[in-house]
Amino acid sequence: MSPKADGQLRFPDVADLNGPILEVENLTTHFQSDRGLVRAVDGVSFTLDRGRTLGVVGESGSGKTVLSRSVMGLLQGNRVVKGGTVRYAGHEISALSPAELRQVWAVQIAMVFQDPMTALNPVVRIGRQVTEGLRIRLGLDRKAATETAVALLESVGIPSPAARLRNYPHELSGGMRQRVMIAIALACGPKLLLADEPTTGLDVTVQAQILDLLGEQQQERSMAMILVTHDLGVVANRTDEIAVMYAGKIVEKAPTTELFAHTRMPYTEALLRSIPRLTDPSHMRLRAIPGRPPDLVNPPAGCRFAPRCPYVQEQCRQAEPPLRNAGPGHQFACWFPVGSSEGEQALAYNLHHKVPAALAFTGTRADNALAAVPPEPTPTGDGEVAS
Amino acid sequence: MTGGGTAHLRSGQDILLRVQDLEVSFGSGPHRVQAVSGISFDVAPGETLGVVGESGCGKSTTGRAVAQVHRPDAGTVRFDGTELTTLGSRELRQARTKVQMIFQDPISSLNPRRRILDIVSEPLAIWGLGTKEERHRKAATMLEAVGIDPAQAGGRRPTEFSGGQCQRISIARALILEPKLLICDEPVSALDVSVQAQILNLLQDLKEERAITMVFIAHDLAVVKNVSDRVAVMYLGKLCELTTPDALYRQPAHPYSEALLASIPEPVPGSERGHTGLTGDLPSPIDPPSGCRFRTRCPYAQELCAREEPPMAEVAPGQFAACHFPLVKPGQVLPEPGPAPEPPRPVL
Repeated sequence: MSPKADGQLRFPDVADLNGPILEVENLTTHFQSDRGLVRAVDGVSFTLDRGRTLGVVGESGSGKTVLSRSVMGLLQGNRVVKGGTVRYAGHEISALSPAELRQVWAVQIAMVFQDPMTALNPVVRIGRQVTEGLRIRLGLDRKAATETAVALLESVGIPSPAARLRNYPHELSGGMRQRVMIAIALACGPKLLLADEPTTGLDVTVQAQILDLLGEQQQERSMAMILVTHDLGVVANRTDEIAVMYAGKIVEKAPTTELFAHTRMPYTEALLRSIPRLTDPSHMRLRAIPGRPPDLVNPPAGCRFAPRCPYVQEQCRQAEPPLRNAGPGHQFACWFPVGSSEGEQALAYNLHHKVPAALAFTGTRADNALAAVPPEPTPTGDGEVAS
Repeated sequence: MTGGGTAHLRSGQDILLRVQDLEVSFGSGPHRVQAVSGISFDVAPGETLGVVGESGCGKSTTGRAVAQVHRPDAGTVRFDGTELTTLGSRELRQARTKVQMIFQDPISSLNPRRRILDIVSEPLAIWGLGTKEERHRKAATMLEAVGIDPAQAGGRRPTEFSGGQCQRISIARALILEPKLLICDEPVSALDVSVQAQILNLLQDLKEERAITMVFIAHDLAVVKNVSDRVAVMYLGKLCELTTPDALYRQPAHPYSEALLASIPEPVPGSERGHTGLTGDLPSPIDPPSGCRFRTRCPYAQELCAREEPPMAEVAPGQFAACHFPLVKPGQVLPEPGPAPEPPRPVL
C-alpha cells in the first residue's frame, strides 16, 4: 500500500485494523555531541495494540522521553542519528518527511508534554491554541472550531469553558493548563496518544484527576496510549503493560500485574524497593540504589546496570544479556534474574563477598554478612532468547 | 478557625521550637495574599515534624517564616528560649547559625561559579571560625559525612554534579555550623526515586548521629511518613490536622487528610483506593472561603462549615484536627494496628 498516491497519506480506520497500531523495531536515536555519540535510545522494540496502554518507566536519562519523541518523529536535525523502524497502522512513519509527518501529527498521533507552561504559547490565547489544529488539520471554519473547542474544554473538566478561551496560559493553574494540553492533544481525535510525564510537577490531588481524565478519554475514544513516567506508582493502576528502560534499552517488559508479581530484572526490583510506601511504618530504612545511571557516551560493557546491581557477577560485566522470554508477554534482560536459583545464588555470593550494592539492597551490615561460603553462581540458561 | 486554636500545643519545658498564631502575607491592598493565616505548632528536640499540603497551601512560607527569611506579620516563633520575631538583624544572624535550611532545587541553590570546598566552608568563613586550612579540613569531613569524596570533588564546581550530589553538598553546607534545627523545604521532590531514597536515608542517619531536630516540608505523604515523628497537614494557610504519621495513615481525622491519602498512587496493581471526589483547584488565598477553608472541596461540608471556622481539637490521644465533623470522633477508640502488611516480595 503506497501512502503517497496523491500526496495524501491514507490510514486505515483503526476499527478495521488487524494487527497492532504501533510496531517499533530496533529503534535507535543517537545524538552527536562534543563528547561523542550519546546513545539515548539504543535498540528498542515493542508493539502496542489499539486501545491498550503501555507504561514506559525509567530514571531521568534512561531515554524514555527521547523514545516517545522518536516514535512521533519529532527529533529532526543533522545531529540526530536515527535507526530502526516505527510502523503506525501498517505505515512506516519513521521514513516520512516532516511535511508528511504533519498529516500524522494531531490527527493520528498526538502528544501531551510534561511541562504545560513551556508547551503552551504564553502570548496566544487558549482559544486559538485549541482551535489551531481543528482549523488546519480538520478544516473547520472559525465558528465550528470554536464550538468544538468549547466542547473539548468541557470534556476535560474545565469550568466555564467559553470564558476560558479568552484567557492566556498564565491565568490558569498548573492542573488547568495540563487539561488544556490534553484538550489540544485530543482535538483532532488521535488514535494514539503519547503522554510524556503528564503529571510531573503537579500536586498529588491534581495528578489523580489528570490520570483519571486520561483514562476516561482513552476509554471513550478507544485510543492507544503510551504513558511515560518515572513513577511506578502512576503506571501500576493505569496501564496494561509496562516497559522498564535503563540507559537507552528496555530491560524488562511485561503485563502490569505480571511485572509487579514476578519481577525478573534486578533494576525493576530495585526501583520498586526504593519507593517509600504509605503502608510501610515510618522511619523504615529505604533500600536505595547506590550510584547513578551510566554515561550514555561510554556505557559500561556487558549489562549496563551491572555497576549498581546487587546480583552482579563477572559474566554481567563482560557479556550483555539478551532479552529473554519468561512467560506470555514477559521479557527481561538479565543473567541472574530475580526469583531464580541463579539469582539467589548470585546475591548470596555477593553478600558473602560484601559487595556494597548487595549490602545496601538487602539492608545487611557489612559485619554480619553471610558466614557460609556460597558456591560461585553460574548464569541462567532459562528462557529462549526473544527475537 | 481551621487550624486556629492551640489545643495541639504541648505544655512542658522540653520544646525546641514553638510557633504560635503565625501570619505571613505578601503584597498590599486588594492583591494582598495571606499565605499563612495563624498557624501554631511545636517541635521537641530530636523530633521531625513533617509538613504536607498542596502547592499554595503555605507550607514553604511557614518554613521560611520560622527561619525569619520572611518576617511574619503576626505571631511568635520561640526557638531554644529565644523569641526570633523581635530580634534585630545582628542578633538574628547569630541565632540563625542554629537554624539552617535546605531547599528544593539543589542545583540553583549552589553558586555555580564557586568551588565545592569554598561553598561548604563559607558559613565558617562568615563567622571567622578557624584558619582557612581548618575550615577546609572541617568542610572536607562534612563532605565525607554526606557521601561526597572531598579529595575528588572539593575543587570542582556545582555544574559538574548531578542533582542528588548537589543536594548532598547543600546538606553539608547546612550542617557545617552544627545547627539545632534543620528546615528541609521539599529536599527530594526534584530527584529521581532511586536518588530520593539515598537522600532520605542520609538525612535519617545524620539526624541520628547529630541529634538534629527537623521540620520536613514536602507534598508527598509517603516521603513525609517515612521521615516524620509528627505530621502537620496544611490547607490554604491553615492547619487541618496534626498527628503521628501512623495514625494519619490508619485513620485520618480531617476530610482533607483523607483526600490527600486517597490521591497518592501506590506502586501496587489493584491498590487503587476509592476516589474521594476531591475536585477542582485550591481556592485563591486572596479571597479565601468563609468558615472552614476546605469546605468548597469537602464532600462532608454542612451549612455550619460556611459560618464558623472549626478550631483544632483533640479527636484521639495525640491526634488533633480542625473540623466540625471529624472522621474520628473524640473518645472513639482507634483500632489497634494489625500485623504489618505483607511486603510484595519477601525481604532478604
